Amino acid sequence: MNLFNIFKMTIPIMMGYIPLGMAFGLLLSKLLIPWYYAFFMSLFIFAGSGQFLVLTLFASQASILEIGVATFLLNLRHSFYGLSMITTFKHFSWKKHYLIFGLTDETFALLKTNDIPEENREKAYLIITALNQSYWIAGSVIGAILGNILPFNYEGIEFSLTALFVVLSIDLYNKSKLHKPFLIAIIIGFVGMFVFPPAKMLILSLSVAALVLILFKKSLDHG
Amino acid sequence: MDNTYLIGAIALAALMTYITRVTPFLFFRKKEPSAIIKYIEWNMPVMIMVILVFYALKDVKWDIYPFGLAEIVCIIIAAFVHVKYKNALLSIFLATIAYMILIQKIL
Repeated sequence: MNLFNIFKMTIPIMMGYIPLGMAFGLLLSKLLIPWYYAFFMSLFIFAGSGQFLVLTLFASQASILEIGVATFLLNLRHSFYGLSMITTFKHFSWKKHYLIFGLTDETFALLKTNDIPEENREKAYLIITALNQSYWIAGSVIGAILGNILPFNYEGIEFSLTALFVVLSIDLYNKSKLHKPFLIAIIIGFVGMFVFPPAKMLILSLSVAALVLILFKKSLDHG
Repeated sequence: MDNTYLIGAIALAALMTYITRVTPFLFFRKKEPSAIIKYIEWNMPVMIMVILVFYALKDVKWDIYPFGLAEIVCIIIAAFVHVKYKNALLSIFLATIAYMILIQKIL
């Protein structure tokens, strides 16, 4: 397994991460945040929808605590990825912490679907994760810098976030065994949009959703 | 936005993201997670994502022209393209371009 073969595997991720990273960077520059924050966010957080979410929360001046809770809830799905990686990573050295850190949706999908021979796995996985993160960082920094120097009317670019959420909703719906949580969330979101104060809408709606999910587990599980 | 706020928020978001990724490696090395945890992990993400769609719409003025028309049309575009072609990037790209054209040139 040489470097070029590994690089070839990551090309689909590159095609996704660079444009999406650029959209993230453009959005960041629209909020008048300096470009190097795009670099640090992509270096230290490395979560696509999570970073978009942080930007939305920046825009509405959410508190730091709210940002923490919201990113935690949004990225909860990643702990599911970890569950199915425990045996794979078991015999890796301490370097596996970088693999765990870099377990995004796309990296997970790639690590789950490759056929790298076992003796090369740790090294190949590390290179894959590092390449993926470098695409993401490159895209977001390019976007943030472009947003500052190109005199283009970017009004409406923030819709990429809404569209991302729509797309991820559909993907997750297709993957889930139960359909009711999806429908219930539509009702909660719709009602919450009108009933809850805008600044607290996310946290209140998510709490209601979690409560409904737990309280009605029995009827949701069987239908 | 001041630097303390940005740095604090980014640090916490980074920590929270890492925690969600590392938790299963810390707690479930030997035993399987309980049924309720699996149930929440399976079903909460889709609910979060759907609610985020509405959260992203919270500042739309539904009672003033153009009554959120651009948002509704472009969400339908994103959903339709995604169900048909299953290409996340294409769906996001087309919907965003359509939205930018709608609010800048048409509505």
